[in-house]
Amino acid sequence: MADVQRFDLLDPAEVARFGGIEIVAQGVVEGFLSGIHRSPFRGFSVEFTEHRAYQPGDELRYLDWKILARADRLFVKQFEQETNLRAMILVDASRSMAWRGAPSRLTKRAYADRLAAALALILLRQRDATGLITFDDVVREVVPARVKAGQWARLVRGLVDTPDGLGTAAQAALVRLTSLLARRGLVVLVSDLLFDRELALTALRYLRHRGHQVIVLHVMDPAEAELSGPPEVRYRDPESAASVVVRPRELARAYQATVRREVDAWRTACRRHGIAYHHILTDMPFGMALRLLA
Amino acid sequence: MTFLHPLALVGLAAAAIPALLHLLERRVPPEALFPPLRYLSEAERQNARRLKLRHLLLLLLRTALIVLIVLAAARPLFPTQTSGGSLHGPTALALILDNSPSSGLVVDGHPVLERLKLIARGSLTRATASDRLWLVLGDGVARAGTREALLATVDSVGVSARRLDLTAAVGAAARLVDAEPVPAREVHVVSDLQRTALGPGRAAIPRGVRVLALTPPSQAAPNRGVGAVRVTDGAAAVGIVGTPATGGAAPVTLRIRGREVGRALATAGSTVSITLPSLGPGWWVGEAVLDADELRADDRRLLVWRMAPPARVAAPPSAGGGPFVAAALAVLEQGQRVGGGGGEGADVAIGDRPQAGARVSVVVPPAEPALIGQADRALAARGGRWRLAGAGTPGLIAAPAVPAISGVQVTRRYRIEPVTGDAAQRPGNDTTVLATVNGEPWLVRDGGVLLLGSRLDTAWTALPATPAFVPFVDALVNRLARGEAPISEVEGAPRVEFQTRGADTIGAIVYGLDPRESDLTPASPALVRDVLDAEVLDAAEFAAARFAGAGRHDASGLLLVLALLCALVELGVATRTR
Repeated sequence: MADVQRFDLLDPAEVARFGGIEIVAQGVVEGFLSGIHRSPFRGFSVEFTEHRAYQPGDELRYLDWKILARADRLFVKQFEQETNLRAMILVDASRSMAWRGAPSRLTKRAYADRLAAALALILLRQRDATGLITFDDVVREVVPARVKAGQWARLVRGLVDTPDGLGTAAQAALVRLTSLLARRGLVVLVSDLLFDRELALTALRYLRHRGHQVIVLHVMDPAEAELSGPPEVRYRDPESAASVVVRPRELARAYQATVRREVDAWRTACRRHGIAYHHILTDMPFGMALRLLA
Repeated sequence: MTFLHPLALVGLAAAAIPALLHLLERRVPPEALFPPLRYLSEAERQNARRLKLRHLLLLLLRTALIVLIVLAAARPLFPTQTSGGSLHGPTALALILDNSPSSGLVVDGHPVLERLKLIARGSLTRATASDRLWLVLGDGVARAGTREALLATVDSVGVSARRLDLTAAVGAAARLVDAEPVPAREVHVVSDLQRTALGPGRAAIPRGVRVLALTPPSQAAPNRGVGAVRVTDGAAAVGIVGTPATGGAAPVTLRIRGREVGRALATAGSTVSITLPSLGPGWWVGEAVLDADELRADDRRLLVWRMAPPARVAAPPSAGGGPFVAAALAVLEQGQRVGGGGGEGADVAIGDRPQAGARVSVVVPPAEPALIGQADRALAARGGRWRLAGAGTPGLIAAPAVPAISGVQVTRRYRIEPVTGDAAQRPGNDTTVLATVNGEPWLVRDGGVLLLGSRLDTAWTALPATPAFVPFVDALVNRLARGEAPISEVEGAPRVEFQTRGADTIGAIVYGLDPRESDLTPASPALVRDVLDAEVLDAAEFAAARFAGAGRHDASGLLLVLALLCALVELGVATRTR
């Protein structure tokens, strides 16, 4: 099946019909890796060792431009890979993640699970220790970072076993994470970010301060980006009793601007603190989402 | 401002529909889960004022849209100084369509009347249901009616045989519209405006009444017509009338009972005499005919005359007829209007008492008052049902049967009264009052007696001293004595009507056109302005000036444009401000 179609480039909802998380994630990763022919995460946790002369076929990004400028000679930098990169994937399992704007799409949670599984598989194939934390208003599931065989299955089991939660309090999960990540490593937060931004950023800043690479994947349903619906509707927050009556048609433009501002605010705040931020819609093929991380 | 359809204003209640819909449609909306509620609340909070303004603006626009459409349907009318294609307020309009005989003139192949009818239609077509309308035709009668009825009348109208006195017609029409309680009053004069159509004096136009008249033609159309025909002394005198500038002579033919009996050349303004052939006694009908020209109606005129032997009149001085009667009879005898040698076999005897042997006695009062009783007894002996009574008051003669003596002063007279008692019951010939003074009989025909209230003497009446005296005596002995009525000429379509009594023809009425209609000289605009107090306008100006006094501009078009603008703005607000 994967020989015929690139799972990583198909519509996520269509891909999800081929099987469970494992199959989907494997298919996605296979397609993704065959597309780029190298590990997308090389150099994440490696350290420089020596120079050698440039040979045709070497990637230009490893050229030492300073030497080229001083001596007019082409040298490439060689790195020594660190052993046991520790990556932790945080998946938001709150009630809001269990929502989708149309039956033809995956819920944000389903999309996040498959994306996290694929990411974990890639990391484990690189022999990186990879762990998982799922959370809503409390931490629901913790799979410590390991590299041993069967780790990916445990990670997938952890995703599957986590039910849809209630509210969202990422701060608690992030604080818990600091105790689980003793060494510097990679932290990937997959969430719809529908929680207090300042509190979450405080925790993320702390991780960054501890030397972790932090990546935030902001998952959003397309129906959350653009408002539409009946002439008048009462929208209710699935995580609280709050509701509001709106006329989608007359508020659509203002809502779209608000969403755009919110995304920009997250992106700006993350960039300010050296945190990578990526906005992902649930109709985006998994391969494209993974490519954002490369 | 007025409304053409004020009932449509009821629709203004519909202006409440948007507000009512807003209130009635506040139902419970459907519910749906929506995780990013915080974004939604933020967007709504930031746009609350704009949304409120938008809702208010939409409500106002929709309400205004309905109001504008309803107002447009009610057809609001605003005063304006120009009429053009716009409407007008209630107006009293008297339309004078001059279809007198001169309107039958053919110009460039079309009768003038057709052009006048088109213009008249234009006035009536512009009228509305709120106008009061009258149509005055050549007969001078003001016909009230609806626009449609009067349009139908105009369409069916033809050239009339009656002359219209425009001065009198305009004055009467102006008084008519002036009595109407409407904001505007107009009189439209649609006429060829020949000079002779303007009567004497000036039309009295009340303030506030506009009189619009068409500009008269600049040139007089040449025309000749038979103005009058009269038979005297064995010849027919034919008077030719027409436009003075018409040059050259034209042949005029006299026909009797369809047979041509004479012909002569005549110019406009002249009178020609055509000798009649010898005819037997009786009533004769003839006609004088001109060659056809552009106005056909006046090219022919009928005439009627009576051929009879002159009456043999006996009026000896001893009979008390008086010297003036004797002198008149002498003149008439010279003209062979009466025969002498009356005596016992006279047809008519004139005296102060009935004469035995005469077929008809003309009785004048005796000079001596003491002889009145004797005269009355003699009348009674002849079966008379009238008698001479006491002295009457002086006055003027009124005599339809003898128009020539009407207005002549009578200074002394006896009242003529019907007898009472058995004499009044006597069967006999009919009785006719032929002339009156102060409303009392002055000349009465009673069977074989013609009874006068005054002697034919200047001490009694001015009649003997007037030119009408000889014709009066002529009529007295030749016509009145025979019980005949005068041959009268009446304006109308050419024809003859005979008057009969039993099997006898006693008179005739000859209908013909007014000779003034033949003169097609147009009145000058200045004269029209002066006499009719009218605005003299050419056809285009006339069309533009109609109803200008109460001109109203229909604002419904503007309102519809505004409604369209409202709709467009509403559409823009509803779609662009989301």
